[in-house]
Amino acid sequence: MDVAREILARARAVGSRSIAVVGTSKNAGKSVVVAALTSALVNEHRVFGLASIGRDGESFDALVAAPKPRFFLREGAVVATATVLLPRTPGLEILEVTGERCALGPIAIARVRAPGYVEIAGPPQASAVRRIVARLATYAPFVVVDGAVDRIAALRGGDDAIVLAVGAASAPTFDRAVEDIAALAARLALPLHDGSGEAIVVVGALTARAAAEHARSFGRMPIVVADPTRIAFGGRTFLELREHLDLRCEHALRPVACTVAPIGLERAFEPRAFARAVAQRTGLPTYDVYAQAVA
Amino acid sequence: MPWNAATAEAIGATWLLDAIAPAGSFGRRALARERPFLRGDEDAARDAIARVASLAAKMSAGDLAAMRAAIARAPDCADVFVRATAGATLDDVDFFELGRLIRAIDEVARFVARESFAARAIAEVRAALEPGTTNGYGFYLADAFDATLARERARANAAQAAFDAERSRIGERVANFAGIEHVRDGEFVLMRDAIASVLPQEIRVVREAPTYFLCEVALDDAARDALAQRDDAIACVSAAEEAVRARLSRAVADAAMALESACDALGDLDALVARAQFALAHACVVPEIASDGGYALVDACFVPLRDTLAERGRTYAPISLELDGIGVVTGPNMGGKTVALRTLGFVGACVALGVPVPARAARVVLVDDIVWLGIGANADPDDGLLSSFGREVIGLRAFLARDPRRAIVLVDEFARTTSPREGRALSIALLERLRERGALGLAATHLAGIATAAKVAHFAVGGLRAFAESPAPLDFDAALARIARAMDYRITRGDEDAAASSDALELGAALGLDAEFVARARTALGDARTPD
Repeated sequence: MDVAREILARARAVGSRSIAVVGTSKNAGKSVVVAALTSALVNEHRVFGLASIGRDGESFDALVAAPKPRFFLREGAVVATATVLLPRTPGLEILEVTGERCALGPIAIARVRAPGYVEIAGPPQASAVRRIVARLATYAPFVVVDGAVDRIAALRGGDDAIVLAVGAASAPTFDRAVEDIAALAARLALPLHDGSGEAIVVVGALTARAAAEHARSFGRMPIVVADPTRIAFGGRTFLELREHLDLRCEHALRPVACTVAPIGLERAFEPRAFARAVAQRTGLPTYDVYAQAVA
Repeated sequence: MPWNAATAEAIGATWLLDAIAPAGSFGRRALARERPFLRGDEDAARDAIARVASLAAKMSAGDLAAMRAAIARAPDCADVFVRATAGATLDDVDFFELGRLIRAIDEVARFVARESFAARAIAEVRAALEPGTTNGYGFYLADAFDATLARERARANAAQAAFDAERSRIGERVANFAGIEHVRDGEFVLMRDAIASVLPQEIRVVREAPTYFLCEVALDDAARDALAQRDDAIACVSAAEEAVRARLSRAVADAAMALESACDALGDLDALVARAQFALAHACVVPEIASDGGYALVDACFVPLRDTLAERGRTYAPISLELDGIGVVTGPNMGGKTVALRTLGFVGACVALGVPVPARAARVVLVDDIVWLGIGANADPDDGLLSSFGREVIGLRAFLARDPRRAIVLVDEFARTTSPREGRALSIALLERLRERGALGLAATHLAGIATAAKVAHFAVGGLRAFAESPAPLDFDAALARIARAMDYRITRGDEDAAASSDALELGAALGLDAEFVARARTALGDARTPD
């Protein structure tokens, strides 16, 4: 099986024209998944765009010299990245210099004209990410977004299929890693509010404290947020509070799969057991890109 | 600027600067180079305003908007020119931006003479970049730039294909061994229980665990050779690409000075277009700029207020006023005294900035200082420790210390927060001082007899006529509209009427004060008048 091709099929099945990979933490294997997706799109001879949500952690990767997959892109791919990161060789076709900026300066959109490596960086603001993805969509029918640890807000307002990545490096223990991905999956898969009955409508973000107070005051009356990214707490707190709350949203997101990176620098989990546990707790098809396997 | 921040707010100069803000970075730079027209700059001011008026007369609003949009699209390439001139090799984004700049200039040149924009230099750079222009907007270091580049790229493509074939050959063997569809680049996992025999030499184990191997593909000699040849070919592509970039950079360096002057011209045009758009949008006229005398305005508008009223569906009454020296304007509340002051200041700001004046006709003089004193001059030099009166006095003291050769001073109910008797005395002293200095100014007040005492001109607002409709509506906007219909905003010059009313009680009723309250005030007014 080709794991990346299966993930792409799941994205297409829900009608998405873009796919965003987000992780529970750094080194969750997001970039490995993105590289696999781009490789699968190349094999399908599809033109695609590639963007990043911020660039946090890239400098940290350099510090710890962690082996991260580089994006080796073939002719036709369209990338959004900081102008200073555009490779001099092989030269890319510059399509536009956007009005968006990241920490490294202005962001350009460029088309790959010859095979080579490209490092991508994106804007820090969620709204700017959406604008970049929209611009990429004018050049490519499908867009892949490399997520950042703490930039889930960038999913807001998009129709991305979402892939959740978790790795052995993400948490100190097997159980904790599984719990983190279960919480993220549950948060992003918040059910839609059907508009019937009484509900507490939260404007803006829902904090853990506010959620706990609502639970005390209103029991299981539905709490409605605009979309799952407005839930401002995750992990164990989310899982515990969820037991006492009926959380819903006005605009649902589309989590379609999980991926596991079972081997990290400091620890490794048994690949099959890890993938099985993640699939069981999240209820999502879970892929191991390293082993080309599904749980 | 010949005004401080508080005055800028009061006379609408801040609003005006926003309204005539250039669209692009070159224009902003041009604006920063400008200095306001002061006394002695009459000829320059006349020329500047005439240029704006000429452009506004020649071009339609649509063409001006199109030109502004084209200017806004011009990227700021100042840094590119500097680096090219310093001998640096530019990068592809620089060439892309230069292409955008040239296209923006081409677009602007549809409307104005191309000679303004270093036509020859631009043509040379355009020709140099032309082979790299893709789809009319992109830039790529295309093969057409150089035969060597094309040759090296063909070699690199072939080398990449050869390496891909070698990599695929090994990858297929590994995939067959592992029973998977294909092997990913980088590290991959093989489960021990899925392996039937010893690992082949194409697989290098990175890490072993009880249930799996973490592996990567090991290249054989043939693949390593192909990889080396590919890397060598890419290095040659790199050298060829850099050679083309260096050649293009020299072409840009040769034209850099001319391009910079073209950008300056673009900036000047940007600032000019913004002013012309303002002039066209607000039916402005070229004022007569006299060396001496005062202001004579016919149907002048304080545009920020006119726009606000228009948003609320209300009409604005333009102001006509002839002011030569110092004057005092009196009249009812809400009668437009303050607007008259603001209009004078706004017209002064327009002329200082080289902008035609929103009026039917205007005669003006240039001044070195525009000063707002009284209500609205809220700049507090002492972080809120000063009272309203203290702030007014500090503002006055600062103005008196400056002693400009010529100023226009706008005084809105000066010293109204002290006792009427002492406020009147201070106002008279201020007007006398201004008159002695030969300043131009207008003071709005409710205090009677000030103009006569200070020996300055007196102006009166027409005042409140009988309301055509009654009773007062409850809706605030409707009440204001009703008052506006009943108010005669015209300002006429004449003697002071000591018994003139401010119409405060009628206006209070019109704004919804209850009848009993207003009746009580009328009684109190009668009582208050008795001792006089």
